[in-house]
Amino acid sequence: MKTFHIGFYKNRKIYFGISIAILVVGLIFNAIFGTQLDIQFKGGAMIKYSYSGDVSTSQIEKAVEGAVKRNVDVTVNKDVKSVSGSKNNLTLTFAGDNSISLNDQKMVLSALNADYPNAGFTSLQVDSVNPTMGRSFFAKCLVAVLIAFLLLDLYIAGRFRKIGGAAAGLFAIVALLHDVAMVYFTFIFFRIPLNDNFIAVVLTILGYSLNDTVVIYDRIRENRKLMGPKTEYSVLVDTSINQTLTRSLNTAGCTFASIAIVFIVGIVYNLASITTFALPMMVGIVTGCYSSICIAGPLYVMWENRKVRKLAARNAEAKEEKLQSEHAETAAEPEKSKTDGSARQPKAVSPKARKKSSRKKSRKRR
Amino acid sequence: MKRVGKPVVFIVAILILLFTFTSIFGIKGKNGDNTVTYVKGVSDIRWGIDINGGVEATFTPATSAKPTNTQMDSAESIIKQRLIGENITDYEVYKDYNHGRIIVRFPWKNDEKNFDPQKSIEELSATAQVTFREGNEYTTQTTGSDGQPVYKTPKGTTASNVILQGNDIESAAPEMTTDQTTGKSTYVVSLKLSSSGTTKFAAATKKMVGKIISIWMDDTMISYPTVEEAIANGECQIDGGTNGFTAAEASALANKINAGALPFKLATTNFSTISPTLGKTSLNAMLIAGIIAFVLVGLFMLVVFRLPGLIAVFSLAGQAALSFAAVSGYFPFVNSFTLTLPGIAGIILSIGMGVDANIITATRIKEELWAGKTLDRAISSGDENSFSAIFDGNITVIIVALILMLVFGPSNILSWLFGPSTTGSIYSFGYTLLIGIVGNFLFGVVTTRLMTKSISRFSFARNKWLYGGAAE
Repeated sequence: MKTFHIGFYKNRKIYFGISIAILVVGLIFNAIFGTQLDIQFKGGAMIKYSYSGDVSTSQIEKAVEGAVKRNVDVTVNKDVKSVSGSKNNLTLTFAGDNSISLNDQKMVLSALNADYPNAGFTSLQVDSVNPTMGRSFFAKCLVAVLIAFLLLDLYIAGRFRKIGGAAAGLFAIVALLHDVAMVYFTFIFFRIPLNDNFIAVVLTILGYSLNDTVVIYDRIRENRKLMGPKTEYSVLVDTSINQTLTRSLNTAGCTFASIAIVFIVGIVYNLASITTFALPMMVGIVTGCYSSICIAGPLYVMWENRKVRKLAARNAEAKEEKLQSEHAETAAEPEKSKTDGSARQPKAVSPKARKKSSRKKSRKRR
Repeated sequence: MKRVGKPVVFIVAILILLFTFTSIFGIKGKNGDNTVTYVKGVSDIRWGIDINGGVEATFTPATSAKPTNTQMDSAESIIKQRLIGENITDYEVYKDYNHGRIIVRFPWKNDEKNFDPQKSIEELSATAQVTFREGNEYTTQTTGSDGQPVYKTPKGTTASNVILQGNDIESAAPEMTTDQTTGKSTYVVSLKLSSSGTTKFAAATKKMVGKIISIWMDDTMISYPTVEEAIANGECQIDGGTNGFTAAEASALANKINAGALPFKLATTNFSTISPTLGKTSLNAMLIAGIIAFVLVGLFMLVVFRLPGLIAVFSLAGQAALSFAAVSGYFPFVNSFTLTLPGIAGIILSIGMGVDANIITATRIKEELWAGKTLDRAISSGDENSFSAIFDGNITVIIVALILMLVFGPSNILSWLFGPSTTGSIYSFGYTLLIGIVGNFLFGVVTTRLMTKSISRFSFARNKWLYGGAAE
């Protein structure tokens, strides 16, 4: 059977570098282009018509602006597939955060019909959002994400106490923040205005990425029992990640493939509400998988190693003091203890205890 | 290992296929020309307004001060009355007293050819005209969406003789009266007229004892009580006739009459409309995406995991069927659920995520085989070792799905802070995601294990290669 032997801990700097580079690029993009909010969140108006024949966008812009005294952005999509045959679509996005009245809407349509009597403009979709209500919806969505984060934190706190302690939980959260940032930058990078799809994607990815991390930590716990407490953390974590890698890639592959198909079909049918959902979801699935493997794992090893070194140093100091008071042995001893297992002795107690308790648990489950 | 009977694999497979088939096509019979639906299938799914087309609008009573609760109730009853009168089913109306908003969402009627959302919003928001008229002659009778007859357009004397208009009414309120002798409680609507109304009503009722005075809102008759006695003091009661009103009926009628007493227009600046054409296109697209995704994931599982992959295809079919069943109202105890585009995306996404349980288990079995275990031991320890990972992993997605439902649902946990809102299309996504995870447990764990253990007892399925082990 094919098994992976990738040194995730050894290569950690490369992974951290990639992530940081993407985050920096994202931040720069964000600074240059700013964050766009959908009219759902900030208020505003958009009308989409279907029509046939040819129209000039500049003439439409003039006609609409004349009718409602408001700047408008005109986009045309040609030959859009629909159940009633291929038609052209015209999207009017009005400037500013204000909604549009029914009356204005009528005036727009009559202005269009006056200029192009044979085009047969039919309204496909109208969105008009009052700015106060938009902002309130936005606030509600942000609170939703916050609640999700809190609940997942509670879950992590309870769950990870068993499999890796507070530190493991903390790095799971770091991985989650990493994924949220990546999804956010996808919206920024592709200039998709943040809408309720963004909230749905962020929440789904939170769940999905944590799922991945849990599977890996679960394997780490199991391997600690098998490999014994003396195994280096880097070896333990790398082994666990490599063992779960096939599963992680397969699952991520299947999920990615299904949502990628949704994305492609969305592109073919020109369905913005679908593509703006599917694209960030695709990115989220990739980064959710990546962050669990390449960020959360190595960070955990670094943390544990640091703890080991600290303990070793403290032991060394304690020993040195002892030695000095007894005037017996040489000062070289503590130095040596850093490298062999004896320095980790105090640490070895807890995995053993944990081993016992988890063995009890697993017996119960059976 | 607990032995699982040989026939189990076939029984489970047939049950899953049967479930999948019925959840897609439903069980329907013919009763003469009518199709009778015994079990609902995909064609019975209620689609959201993003698929069926429809309107979502927020109305605010156009009053100078903050609208009172009575005004809000009255505005709500006007809107409901008009929706029922238009035979629009499946509408949602939410009141928000604090912000003085009424949110309305309704799908487009299936038989409607001309989609004119502007007109329907205008009709809903027009000032209500309440009139009291002589007699109860009407031009047309249709059935409203609540199953009650709707009488429209007065004619004859009913059209010509208007006794009272909205501004003649001071207030209407539901009241409970108790009969002194029988002790039975009934609900009535008590009416208070203005001084001009009192004079007009006194004159009319004097002439019309024993006759009918009908009450109309806009073009629709909402009540037609018979005059029992002349009413001179401008205060009277409308009772529900022989059957009496229920509390709800009495307050609904009072609210409607109040709409005439407190005239106001409903302003709307917040609305969205979607044409049915656009929605149907999206539905077709998502169906294609769903089928391709299913086939692709199924093929992948077959190629990579062989026999467990084949079993995974069955579990995946069962899982997809469960998603359909959960939205269509397949089970009598589960209400049908409005399915939106993100909802369908949730189903497709959970097809991808749903194989996770199968992947974890199959990978584990493969590992155990390569570690040199016998087939039976590999299967049983693979099952055991993978359960906690599957369980833990899915819990997180369940938490997220529940939050999505709680936050975007009709009356949600954040309502006290932000006021009620219509059921967002994301609500449906949370639901299908949740069902997907439940299906993942049910099919990816339970049926998959039964099938694997059962089929592994057949001699043709003893080859380790079939489970990803070395060829024998």
